[in-house]
Amino acid sequence: MKMLSNSLALLLVMASGGLAMAANVPAGVKLHETQELVRNNGSEPETLDPAIASGVPANNVIRDLFEGLTAIDSAGRVVPGVAESWKQTDPQTWVFKLRKNAKWSNGDGVSADDFVYGMRRLVDPATASKYAATYGVFLHNAKDILEGKKPPVALGVKAVDAYTLEIKTPFPTGFLPDVVSNLQLGPVHKATIDKHGKDWTKPGNLVGNGAFTLKDWQVNSKIVVAKSTNYWDAKNVQLSKLTYLAVEDGNADVKLYESGENDWVYQLPPGTYEKYKQQYPKEIRNTTMLGLRYYSLQNADPVLKDIRVRKALSMVIDRDLLAQRVTADGQVPAYGVIVNGVSGANPTRYEWAGWPMDRRVAEAKKLLADAGLAPGSKLKFAYNTSEYHKKMAIFAASEWKTKLGINLELEAMEFKVLIKKRDDRDFQMARNGWVADYDDATTFLTLVQCDSDQNSQGNCNRKAEALIDEGNKSLDPAKRRTLLTQAAQMIMDDYPMIPLLQYTVPRLVKSYVGGYSSTNALDRYRAKDLYVIKH
Amino acid sequence: MGSYCLRRILATLPTLLVVVTVCYLMLHATPGGPFDDERKVSAVVLANLQAKYHLDQPMWKQYLYYLNNLLHGDLGASFRYADWSVNELVAKALPVSAAIGGGAIVLSLLIGVLLGSVAALRQNSAVDYLVMLMGNLGHAVPSFVIGPVLILVFAVWLRLLPAGGWDDFAPRYIVLPMALLVFINVATIGRVMRGSLIEVLHSNFIRTARAKGLPTRIIVLRHAMKPALLPVVSLIGPLAISSITSAVVTETVFSLPGLGKLIVNGAANRDYTLVLGLVVLVTVIAVGFNLLVDLAYAALDPKIRY
Repeated sequence: MKMLSNSLALLLVMASGGLAMAANVPAGVKLHETQELVRNNGSEPETLDPAIASGVPANNVIRDLFEGLTAIDSAGRVVPGVAESWKQTDPQTWVFKLRKNAKWSNGDGVSADDFVYGMRRLVDPATASKYAATYGVFLHNAKDILEGKKPPVALGVKAVDAYTLEIKTPFPTGFLPDVVSNLQLGPVHKATIDKHGKDWTKPGNLVGNGAFTLKDWQVNSKIVVAKSTNYWDAKNVQLSKLTYLAVEDGNADVKLYESGENDWVYQLPPGTYEKYKQQYPKEIRNTTMLGLRYYSLQNADPVLKDIRVRKALSMVIDRDLLAQRVTADGQVPAYGVIVNGVSGANPTRYEWAGWPMDRRVAEAKKLLADAGLAPGSKLKFAYNTSEYHKKMAIFAASEWKTKLGINLELEAMEFKVLIKKRDDRDFQMARNGWVADYDDATTFLTLVQCDSDQNSQGNCNRKAEALIDEGNKSLDPAKRRTLLTQAAQMIMDDYPMIPLLQYTVPRLVKSYVGGYSSTNALDRYRAKDLYVIKH
Repeated sequence: MGSYCLRRILATLPTLLVVVTVCYLMLHATPGGPFDDERKVSAVVLANLQAKYHLDQPMWKQYLYYLNNLLHGDLGASFRYADWSVNELVAKALPVSAAIGGGAIVLSLLIGVLLGSVAALRQNSAVDYLVMLMGNLGHAVPSFVIGPVLILVFAVWLRLLPAGGWDDFAPRYIVLPMALLVFINVATIGRVMRGSLIEVLHSNFIRTARAKGLPTRIIVLRHAMKPALLPVVSLIGPLAISSITSAVVTETVFSLPGLGKLIVNGAANRDYTLVLGLVVLVTVIAVGFNLLVDLAYAALDPKIRY
């Protein structure tokens, strides 16, 4: 009898799977006979260990090999992963109900304990994860564990039973379901790690719970993943094989694409967007991302400590011209630290952004005169050597020179040297950029908050800080949004930095690649959601 | 000669120690560290990372720790490629570089010597001008121009060969990068061979041989070839080393997983162990090739004895 009910349940699951498939691949779309894709991943992943991963390429592959409590689908929405449902049971507690049919690639069942192990491992000082603090901030006791004051078992994550996971947060975190889509907070297979140690991520050893398994890994060349038969939703996975290339050079990437060996360019080389838009109108894609290009100003600098100088510098840069003529790759002008489309706060904008440029220049000149900064003064700008950054810097230099008479000395340096200078606050102005880790305004606010590691400027507004704290404690999303927006406006009115552009990802993707979306603002795609259209 | 070789090999050890020490100090003196990134890690995370890689120890301790590992044949763990040891990375990249670089050197020696000799024997003829034109082209046009042109023609337009990539020594992936390297190397070898053979053909002993009435074929093959090859042989060492150290252009253009890319990325990422490991490797190869070249001298030139 029990067996009968089991097979009935199986039938039901299969039937619902059939329906889900119809939802994944739109009606009328014919699938190609071979479901294989090649996607360039930009560079070699630093690891395939989810706890250690920090870069975009590593996270891209890990998203196929593992599955977290939730996931982000192609449209950028939070969808169920291993968790079927979740609920905030009190302001600082979330409970996730896991599906019972989730399996590891070796056939073992995925349980709440696997998540507990994964999260403890993330914050364990011995793991030395770069993301331990970034995501640990949302887990009760994580800070103390990281500092070695408490053992990893003290983490506020508990397996209530095999399929119920309870997460305690140090403050109310309404967007936790979004955060836990990151695989740093996902499950790992303890027995595999115990058995293979450092080699557990190698092909043949790696056991994951994602829709794909690791078939081949050739460092600096390619990683091949193949559809997993043990994945709970395998019937809705169309691709049988996906190859990730590790091509760093944008021109080589496009050549591989044009010769038919690559279906998905990582990112077009600078200055080529318009050309390829003309050449491949059906294959060009450009999605606005949750990311910001900005210039950090050293707020303690003898010249730049005067807010009037910082304001004048920001005012005269014509972002529209920069976006349309200089970078010319579809990026959007930015006037605040909060970018368009991010949840939790509204983008702020300076009043002068709507003024004609003449008026902005006149006002900026007045501000500089009041501050006592005479035309002919010199400022220094540090950036890492790259055609793209150089183009933007030359534009900024010419804006300041022609409109305010300020001379900009451009200092090009190696990436690591720039980072060191920024960390040491050993600069006057420096190139900077940020891409969101999760869809919430707080990820951007860390760039300008008082005691944040990501604040290169050294600015601090305690009043705004209090508003952010109050907002984060609030359970009312509307109130939180108002408070965070207010705080962002307050900080931006101090002119700590110069927001310039919101990132886009211009790339070529073959027209037969199904499941690509123009609304995926975090640029996260699971191979599970992709398919090859008949061509 | 056996004892000569042994002495040469033993003399490598102090060289290696000096190279490793200087390189170690230079790497650590470079601003920025392996864990500096766009997203700054918090102080406590940085401390945990440094502890994991022994960077929290005093420099001299780290250095001794590294030397000890090196003596045991362990090049350490990579900072950038967290899942791989430097030994594993080198073991994967070296065969790729050796196949393309080594193959290119052998081919370019054959072609270069042949073309250079023909040009020398038919000095100021059409063949000579053609060879010299090719030589000048190979010198003047940088590889990052020739490479993409080869890709455009053979991969994008004709679709005969892949535009890049690597698949377990499959010949289709080797042809274009090797052709590029051969083209560049032939330019050098051909010119050197031509000049050298012309010089030898004008020397007194050749004139004597001619006076004795020997046929040109015998003069060239038996008497002129050996001394004319000496400058070409001297080129092999530098060519072999540059096929690793300057391979980054070819490897970038053709997306190859070779050593050149590891060296450049290792330096940019402050991947201390990886860079040191590769420096050790290049030093060993350089010393090895220099020894081989010296031995080849002895075989070619009766005046040289060891």
